[in-house]
Amino acid sequence: MSAPSAAPGRLPPVSGEWIDRSRTIDFRFEGVAYQGFAGDVPSAALWAAGVRTLGRSFKYHRPRGLLSFANHDVNALIQWGARLNLRADVEPLEPGMDLTAVNTFGGVQGDRARVLDLLGAFLPVGFYYKAFHRPRALFPFWERFFRRVTGLGRLDFRAPRLHTPKRYDFADVLVVGAGPSGMAAAVAAGRAGARVVLVDENARIGGSLGWQRGGDTASLERLRALEADLAALPNVSVRPGTLAAGWYADHWIALVDAVRMTKLRARATIVAGGAFEQPAVFRNNDLPGVMLASAAQRLVHRYAVKPMDRAVVLTANADGYRAALDLLAAGVSVGPIVDLRAEGESSGLSERVKQVGIQVLRGHCVLEARGRDGRLCEVTICPWDGQGNASTAAPQKVACDGLVMSTGWAPAAALLYQAGAKMGFDERRQQFVPAALPEGVFAAGRVNGVFTLDNKLADGERAGLEAARLLGFDAPAPRSVAPDLDAASHPWPIVDHPAGRNFVDFDEDLQVKDFLNAAAEGFDNIELLKRFSTVGMGPSQGKHSNMNAIRLLARIRGASPGEVGTTTARPFFHPVPLSHLAGRGFSPRRETPLHSRHAGLGAVWMQAGPWLRPDHYAVPGKRKSENVREEARAVRTGVGLIDVGTLGKIELYGPDAGAFLERVYTGKFANLKVGMTRYAVMLDESGVVIDDGVVARLAEQHFYFTTTTTGAAVVYRELQRWNAQWNLDIGIVNATGPFAAMNLAGPKSRAVLRAITSLDLSNEAFPYLGVRQAEVAGVPARVMRVGFVGELGYEIHVPAHQAGHLWDALMQEGAAHDIRPFGVEAQRLLRLEKGHIIIGQDTDGLTHPDEAGLEWAVKMDKPFFVGQRSVDIVRRRGLRQKLAGFRLDAASAAVAPKECHLVIRDGRIAGRVTSVAFSEVVGAHVGLAFLDPDLSAEGTPFFIRADGGTMVQARVVALPFYDPAGDRQKISG
Amino acid sequence: MRASPLRHVLAPLHPRLEVLHGMPVALHLRDEQPGWAGVLGVCDLSFLPRMGLKGPGAAAWLAERDIPVPAVPNRWEPLPGGGLVARLARSEFLVEDGFPGGPVTGLAAQLQVGPGVYPVPRQDCALALTGSALTELLVQTCNVDFVAQDAAARVVTLTSMVGVSVTVLRLPADGRHVVRLWCDGTMGPYLWETLTGIAGELGGGPVGLDSAFPDRSA
Amino acid sequence: MKILTCPVNGPRPVSEFVYGGEVRPMPDPANTSDFDWADYVFNRSGIPGVKVEWWYHLASGTWFLAERDTVADRVLRTWLPGEEHP
Repeated sequence: MSAPSAAPGRLPPVSGEWIDRSRTIDFRFEGVAYQGFAGDVPSAALWAAGVRTLGRSFKYHRPRGLLSFANHDVNALIQWGARLNLRADVEPLEPGMDLTAVNTFGGVQGDRARVLDLLGAFLPVGFYYKAFHRPRALFPFWERFFRRVTGLGRLDFRAPRLHTPKRYDFADVLVVGAGPSGMAAAVAAGRAGARVVLVDENARIGGSLGWQRGGDTASLERLRALEADLAALPNVSVRPGTLAAGWYADHWIALVDAVRMTKLRARATIVAGGAFEQPAVFRNNDLPGVMLASAAQRLVHRYAVKPMDRAVVLTANADGYRAALDLLAAGVSVGPIVDLRAEGESSGLSERVKQVGIQVLRGHCVLEARGRDGRLCEVTICPWDGQGNASTAAPQKVACDGLVMSTGWAPAAALLYQAGAKMGFDERRQQFVPAALPEGVFAAGRVNGVFTLDNKLADGERAGLEAARLLGFDAPAPRSVAPDLDAASHPWPIVDHPAGRNFVDFDEDLQVKDFLNAAAEGFDNIELLKRFSTVGMGPSQGKHSNMNAIRLLARIRGASPGEVGTTTARPFFHPVPLSHLAGRGFSPRRETPLHSRHAGLGAVWMQAGPWLRPDHYAVPGKRKSENVREEARAVRTGVGLIDVGTLGKIELYGPDAGAFLERVYTGKFANLKVGMTRYAVMLDESGVVIDDGVVARLAEQHFYFTTTTTGAAVVYRELQRWNAQWNLDIGIVNATGPFAAMNLAGPKSRAVLRAITSLDLSNEAFPYLGVRQAEVAGVPARVMRVGFVGELGYEIHVPAHQAGHLWDALMQEGAAHDIRPFGVEAQRLLRLEKGHIIIGQDTDGLTHPDEAGLEWAVKMDKPFFVGQRSVDIVRRRGLRQKLAGFRLDAASAAVAPKECHLVIRDGRIAGRVTSVAFSEVVGAHVGLAFLDPDLSAEGTPFFIRADGGTMVQARVVALPFYDPAGDRQKISG
Repeated sequence: MRASPLRHVLAPLHPRLEVLHGMPVALHLRDEQPGWAGVLGVCDLSFLPRMGLKGPGAAAWLAERDIPVPAVPNRWEPLPGGGLVARLARSEFLVEDGFPGGPVTGLAAQLQVGPGVYPVPRQDCALALTGSALTELLVQTCNVDFVAQDAAARVVTLTSMVGVSVTVLRLPADGRHVVRLWCDGTMGPYLWETLTGIAGELGGGPVGLDSAFPDRSA
Repeated sequence: MKILTCPVNGPRPVSEFVYGGEVRPMPDPANTSDFDWADYVFNRSGIPGVKVEWWYHLASGTWFLAERDTVADRVLRTWLPGEEHP
C-alpha cells in the first residue's frame, strides 16, 4: 500500500531530528512504493508507513522487524540491484531505491520457506554436521539445496569494477565514538594542543546524547554545547559516517567511510565506542514490535517515527525508565514497566514515571509474547525471582503492539581487544570492562562501564587528558571519576519456556535450548560453543548475542561469566566493501632506457622479476620459434644486439676492494689485472650457488661487477651487511639502474664497433676477457669482451641517459652488416649451445658448485670465503648429482622433453632436465640435466620421461656443444 | 645526446622541446590545461645536471669546494646560485644544479676516487610536483607525515611511494607548494604514469617546464 | 602496521624494511667441528625473548640492529652497527 507524504507513523517535527522534511524521497520495497525523507533510512521510512515485516530470519524464516536499529543485528537485510546485503537500519535512503529483503522465497510477506519454522524440531543446533551425508548419492542434491536456501543476497556478475583510492592520515590522538564520552575526550585532548581525529560510524555525532533524552531537552542542549566546543578547535577533525574498522599494531587504524578506506596512524587511541544494548530472552522475543529500548528512542529522535501505539517496557536499569518517558513524550501509550529487579529503580526516574501515571511491576518478567499477522499483539507478564524462575500461576496478559527491552549492555570493545587490552568481568556492573590497557590505549564511557551522563562526560575528559599528557602535551591532571552506583545490566535476563523460540542470536536463529543441547554434546567451552552453535558467527558477529550466550554457558557450567570468558573480536567491526580494500592496485615495473627502442622493433615482452624484457622481436608472418631461430642465427653468422641492462651492477672501491671480493666470491680477484675481467660465483653460507657474474678491474682500487637480474638487490644488500661486520676499507655503490648495458655479439661485431669508437679493438690491444674504458659513439663507456653466447662480442655499459644514443648508433652502423636485435629466448639458446648455466634454472636452492660443474671457479686455498667451510664438508660426503650436457637421438626428436622433466632409471628418479632446446648449429635437441653421478659419464645413454609419459632416449655429451675450443670468441681482426 | 627516462612517455603528449644542459626538455605539452600547475602539476626535471658521492670523506671533499654541506643526515641546503645539496642518510650526497646552472659539471670533473670518497652515478628520473592539491596526492601515495615536518628544517625523506624507493623534499617556494622527487630512472615511467593518473583525478596533470616554473631564470 | 625506528631515518612503517634474521656470531670456520658448523648454518633459535636482529631500510640502504622482545613484539632500541652504547 502506498502512503501519503505524511506516513501514519511519522511524528510532528522532533528537535534534533535527522530528516529533512523539505526533500521527500520515493523508493520501493518488495515491489511496493513508499516515501521517506532525505536523511532517512529505509527501515525507518517503512516503519513509519506501517510496514512491520522487514525481513525473514536466516534459518526459520520467521518475520522480523526492528531489533537494535543500530547495525547490531541484521533483521532488515536488503538488496538494491547489484548492491548486496545493505543494512536497512543504517543505509542512507536514496531516490530510486528499489529494495528487496534477502533470503526469501516468494517475497518477505509470502516467504514459502517459513514452513521451516514448523520443522524446527528436525533442525536442532548443529544438525547439518550429522545429517545428509547418507546416502552418499543424495549428498549433491542436499548440497545444492542448502546452497540455495542459506544464501544471503544474490550476486550480480555484471556489477561494475570499482576503484576506490585509499589514503593515509596521521593524528596524535584518535577518538573512536562521538557520543558524550568521545566528544569530551576530543575536546580535552584538542584543548591541550593535540592533533585529534574524532570518528563516529553514525551519520551524525552525538551518540546517546541525541537519542536518550529521558523526556526532556537537557541532553540535546549539552550536545549542541559539545558540538560548539569541537568546532572551536581547528586541530580537531570531526568525521561522522566514518567507521574505525580495526586496530592494528602501533595505532594503525582502518577508517572506512562511504567513499574509501583511510589508513590512519595515531600515537594514542581512545575507544569511546559505547555499548551494545542486549535483548532479553523470552518466548517469541523476535516478533516485529519487540525491540530494544534504544531502538525505539533512535526511531523517535532521529527519524520522528512513532515506534508503536501501545508499549510495555521490560527493564532492569535506569535506561528503561528514560525510554518510557521518551515514548510517552512521543505520544505512545506506555505501561506497565516490567522491572526484573525486585527492588526496582532507585533513582529519581522512579518518581517521575509514577508522576506521569505509568504503572511499575517490580520483580516481574515477560514470559512470552504473542503475535498475529506477523506482529506483536500481546505479552504475558509473570512474577519472577530474578534467577530465571517465573511463577506461571497468575499470568497477566497485556494487549500491546510494542515491547521495548532494556535489560543489559555489552561493551563495544572489539578495538580494545585488537589493541591488546585485557577485559575482566565486573560482578557489580555485570559487564566486561577493561582490566588492563596497553600504553597509549584508553577507554571511556559505556565501553569502560560508565553509564550515568555526568560520569560519561568526566570519563571522556579524563581519557583525553591522559592521552594528551602521555604524548607530552601540556594538559592539566585528570580528575578521577566516581564509579556509577547502579548496574546497567541484569545478570540473568533470560526466561526459559518449554515451547522454546526464545531467541539469543537473531542472526542465526539460536534459542536457549540450542545452547543447552550444544553444551550437553560436550561443546561447553566458549570457543567450541561458538563454533558448534554458530552464536556470534552471523553478520552481526555477536554484537547482540555474545553476552547472553556467555551467561548461559556460565550457568550451565556453574561458573562466572568472567571464568567463561569471551571469544576474540577480529577486524573488521562492520563489513567493509571489497572495492574499498582493493583500492587502486599498484604494480611497479622497471624498464631499461631502451624500452621504446624495443617496442618500436616489435618486441614481445616477458617479465623478469619487476623488469620487462624483450622475449623476442616479432617479425610479421613468422612464428615465435622462427624468429628466435633467426635471431640466434644472426648472432652466429653476422651480428646481433641485445639489451642486458637488467643485470645488477655494483661499483666497489677502496684499498680493501680486492680482499673483499675474495671473501664474498669463490674465486681469486686480488690478482686480477687492471683491464681484465673474470667470471665470479657467489655461494651462501651453506655452500649453495646463489649468484654469478663478471668482475672487471678498472683500476687498482676500482672494481665493477655484474650480478644476475633477479639477484641484484639481494646481493647488494648482503654485501653491505658483510662489510658492516668486517669493516674493510671499501665503498660499495649500487649502479644497477644508472648504467644501461647492451651486448653486441657475432663475428661482425668488431666491424660494427670499430666504426664508432677510436678504441683499438685488435686482439693484441684488447684481448678476450679484457675491459676498456673509452668513448663509443661519443658516449663514455665500459666495454668488456665476454663469452656468454660464445661469439666474438662486446658488452658495453653506459650511463642510462645516453643509452638510447648508443643503441641507435650501433643499429645504424650495423645496418650494413644486417644487424639483428635479439631477445632473451635467443640468448638462452645461444648460451645453452655453449653449455653456460643460468643460476636459478640450471641450479636450484640446494645446488653446490661441484654439482653444477663450477669446481674450477672455487679456490679453496683462499683463507676464507663465504660458503668455503660448507663446500669442504659437502665434498667429503661425495657427489649426489652432476649437471651434464645431453643430446637427443634423432629418433627422439618427435617428442622433445621440457625443463623439469625427470630422468628415470629402473622406475626411480635419477635426475631432471634443467634446460633443453633445438639447436640449429648442432642439428639436434641439446640440453643440460642433473644426473646421478654414475650416469654422467660422456656417452652414457639415459631416459627422460616427457609429456604423456613417453620415454625419450638421450645421451651424455661433452660441453660445450658448439665451438669446444672457444675459438669463435677470440677471432682476430 | 642525453635523453630523459621519461622521453618515450612524454612523446605522445606532443611536447615542445628545447635542449637544456644537453637534454631535450618539454617546455610545454600540447594538451595541458592552464590551471593544472596550480592544482597538481607533474613536471620532468631529469635534465638538471646532478652528481652523487658517498663515503667517510665525502662531506669534507664537498666542503673544501665551498659546497654548504648539511651537518645532519636527511637535510638539504640550497646552493648560492640556485640548485641544492642533499645529505641522503649518513654519508651520501646529491648535488643538483639550479635552472641557470651550478657547480655540478665542475665538481664531477674533479671527482676521482680518493680516500673515502666514492662516486655515485646518478641517472635519475627527477620530478617536480606543484599545486594546491599536492598534500592530497602525497597522502594517497606515501605513508610519511609530511604535514608534521618542519618546513623550515629542510628535511629530506628517503621512503617508498606507490612501491618505488624515492627521495622527497619540499621546496619553500614563496607560498607555492613544490615537492621534488627523485627515483631510479628505470622506475621513472611507472612512477610518472601512476602520479599523473592520480593528478588527473585531483584536477591536475602532466605539465611542461614553463608552466611549472614560469619564473625560472634561464 | 608496526613502526620501526631506523637510527638514521627515524620511525617508519615496517613495510619500508627487510628483516635480516637474528644476529648470530659466526664460529671460526677453520676451527669448528662439522657438527657445530652445520648447526650455525642451518639452525636458528626459536626461543622467545629479547633478541638482537638485523634490519635493513630499503629506500636508504641502511643496515641497523634492533633489540626486540619477540614475545611482546616490542622493539626496545635500534642502533647502527659499530655505534652501540655500552
